Amino acid sequence: MEILVCAKRVPDTAENEIEINSAGNDIKRDDLVYSVNEWDNYAVEEAIQIVEKHGGSVTVVTVGDDESEEILRREMAMGAENGILLTDEAFEGSDGKGIAALLKAAVEKGNYDLIMTGAQADEGYAQVGGMLAAMLDYPYASLVNKIEVGDGKLTVGREIEGGNIEINEIELPCVLSIQTGINEPRYVGIRGIRKVASVNIPAMGASDLGIDPASVGADAAGVKRIDYFVPEMGEGAQMLEGSDDEILEKLIELLKSKGGIK
Amino acid sequence: MAQQISDRHDIDFVLHEQLNVAEFSKHEKYAEFNRQTIDLIVNEARNLAVKEILPTRKEADEQGCIYDKGTVKAPEAYKRLFKLLKEGEWTAMPEDPRWGGQGMPRSVSMAAAEYFNGADYSFMMYMGLTEGAGRLVENFGTDRQKKLFLKNMYTGRWTGTMLLTEPVAGSDVGRLETKAVPQADGTYKIKGQKIFTSSGEHDLAENIVHPVLARIEGAPAGTKGISLFLVPKYRVKEDGSLGELNDVNCLGIEKKMGIHGNSTCTLSLGDKDECIGELLGEENKGMREMFLMMNGARLLVGMQGFASATASYINAVNYAKERTQGRHLTRMKEKDAPAVPIIQHPDVRRMLLTMKAYVEGMRSLLYYTAWCEDKADVVDDEKEKEKYYDLIDLLIPIAKGYVTDRAFDICNLGMQVYGGYGYIKEYPQEQLVRDCRITMIYEGTNGIQAMDLLGRKLGMKKGKLVMDLMGEINATISKAKEGERVKPYAESLEKALNRLGEAAMHLGNTAMSEKVMDAFAYAYPFMEVSGDVVMAWMLVWRASIAEKALEKAKKKDAAFYEGQIRSAQFFCNTVLPTTLGKINAIMATDGAALEIDEASFIG
Repeated sequence: MEILVCAKRVPDTAENEIEINSAGNDIKRDDLVYSVNEWDNYAVEEAIQIVEKHGGSVTVVTVGDDESEEILRREMAMGAENGILLTDEAFEGSDGKGIAALLKAAVEKGNYDLIMTGAQADEGYAQVGGMLAAMLDYPYASLVNKIEVGDGKLTVGREIEGGNIEINEIELPCVLSIQTGINEPRYVGIRGIRKVASVNIPAMGASDLGIDPASVGADAAGVKRIDYFVPEMGEGAQMLEGSDDEILEKLIELLKSKGGIK
Repeated sequence: MAQQISDRHDIDFVLHEQLNVAEFSKHEKYAEFNRQTIDLIVNEARNLAVKEILPTRKEADEQGCIYDKGTVKAPEAYKRLFKLLKEGEWTAMPEDPRWGGQGMPRSVSMAAAEYFNGADYSFMMYMGLTEGAGRLVENFGTDRQKKLFLKNMYTGRWTGTMLLTEPVAGSDVGRLETKAVPQADGTYKIKGQKIFTSSGEHDLAENIVHPVLARIEGAPAGTKGISLFLVPKYRVKEDGSLGELNDVNCLGIEKKMGIHGNSTCTLSLGDKDECIGELLGEENKGMREMFLMMNGARLLVGMQGFASATASYINAVNYAKERTQGRHLTRMKEKDAPAVPIIQHPDVRRMLLTMKAYVEGMRSLLYYTAWCEDKADVVDDEKEKEKYYDLIDLLIPIAKGYVTDRAFDICNLGMQVYGGYGYIKEYPQEQLVRDCRITMIYEGTNGIQAMDLLGRKLGMKKGKLVMDLMGEINATISKAKEGERVKPYAESLEKALNRLGEAAMHLGNTAMSEKVMDAFAYAYPFMEVSGDVVMAWMLVWRASIAEKALEKAKKKDAAFYEGQIRSAQFFCNTVLPTTLGKINAIMATDGAALEIDEASFIG
């Protein structure tokens, strides 16, 4: 099976203090450590496992600047065979729809049976997977936490509210957005790193993709972020203090007294 | 969350701006290790260390090792970690790829080692000792021994140890009593007892290979009669498969102040007279062979101490930024003034900057020492090669003795910054203090390191080693003087270096006079001042690079580079003056320590 996984380079939340910039429209990005979006990493692992069982190859694609190449190389060290960097000044500031349009163009340049995205990334809109499916006119399943490969179709589990799981059949080609926890992503070892040390990762710009530069980027974005802030703490918030055990005990008492648990 | 274990920016600075390690990729041997490969290696080592090793450190410390009738269970979490490190091939990063190593420049492997050891070096000891034992096999083993043992060791399938210490033979290895009796088939029967054996028995690997120092029956007394033997826990058949147990019995494990996750074993060899060993290298050359491996082992111990220090420093900075306590000193009298993060208090800043300067200087020194080995490896000119090996020989007692002493001081400060919480087990600082402490003792106590520096290294090749080092430091000074801001610090360093040269000359001469005992009473202060000067060298070197880089630094890098200049400023203006005072004491070589009667120590 030929699988394309869409990945994004995002600030690593395990390594950074996230603060809002002085203009109030973004986070401070100067000193951030970046890595591959966690959900995307699960998607790549799932794709690698499918290929290990059923054959085929995994390609990882990202939209970003030159520095984004590092996450492609990293996912290739993990086991993806190919990487594609979609990069062009015209792409900067694209909204979710713009990113989906770029990914659609990349999908059409290849011959993929299955497209995967992470369920969401740092900006949290969780919109690209769904839009990409709609643009491609492919069936789509979101929040996928289980995949079984059948003949021309997949059986996928989806996480739904209340911790329940539903099982769907979905025809190929399709788009899936992957939930964390679907597998245990492998770590990248030295053998993998050496394999990709000198690999050339192709970059594609607007003209390579056949995209009108005016149709993507900041100017074409239909969604623009105008403010960014940490909500002020409202009334009624209560900070529990003490050791972990003490906090836990107080919390249970509170939940019991307010009827949250019996 | 903030960074953990170590400062990635600083690691990159040392690797790429100070030492230019990607340059090694121009040589065929290291061709794969270009900048992007190095960055990926550091990324993934950090990933594994932060996500897998660090979260188990406390649990492993609390669980410790469990001894039961000759067997030892390592902390439960270590099994998964061991598997992950093996799978990722992180077990013998700089060793020969023909035998399962990764052939990485040693300087690059230091960055990965820093993350792993900073996360939990008790765990990493199982790997580190294996690599050291493997190097013995690689250097002195026969082809057959390499085939049977080495790949299994470098790939982490089997682990290794080092059996030196005996109840009567600690720092004085020459007194060891373990015997080796030649057998008709060329093997030896080994009999004796070894103590303080790190990783001596555990349940993490299929087999354990013990290099053992023992005396062949009839061999001369002292160090000249010591040979090295390979003694596996399970005998190894000629086809490489494992045979029966080899009469190596673990009699117990030590209860220790720290490094609880690593088993410190008493091993009895040949209780049933069935412990079979094979000679590694030549008869009676065991000590010499062991010494050739000593530099690597001592550098590793320096890394263990340093990695504890860097973890403590990172924790302390993060804590000091978050913890609010006390009003700002200039607003002390205003009752309504808010409590400020403790990083705003002058004494906390003093502690943090002390930690920062030493951590940075130590990182540079350790990476530089490894870099010297890489350089020696790639240069063709024999004289240059010799120079780099000489620099390593001279720097090792500092990289072990001075670094672990300062590392412990840093861990102590790291606890202090936390206040009362630093002493509480819920927080990581107290474990770092406990774990770090042994690094000052094992692999040659720091007193032994000081004697090595004064007694062996100083006079080696008629002082050539010291002259070479002074040449390198002077080259840095000349360059640093070109920068307006760093110039005064370069001058302070120059002054201290010249004084150090005088102290070396004085102490060297004293050691060859009838006042030899007095000289050695100052061996340790001499190691301290040598270390101070080497720290200042590294910090001035860094600051000089930073001053240049500031000219066109991006905003995000400017604070980092400024910080480099501040470290040099602090060290040269606050620490180096005390170094000059200590040098004065060395020059005076007061005799009190020798003159005092033993009866006067306790009345």
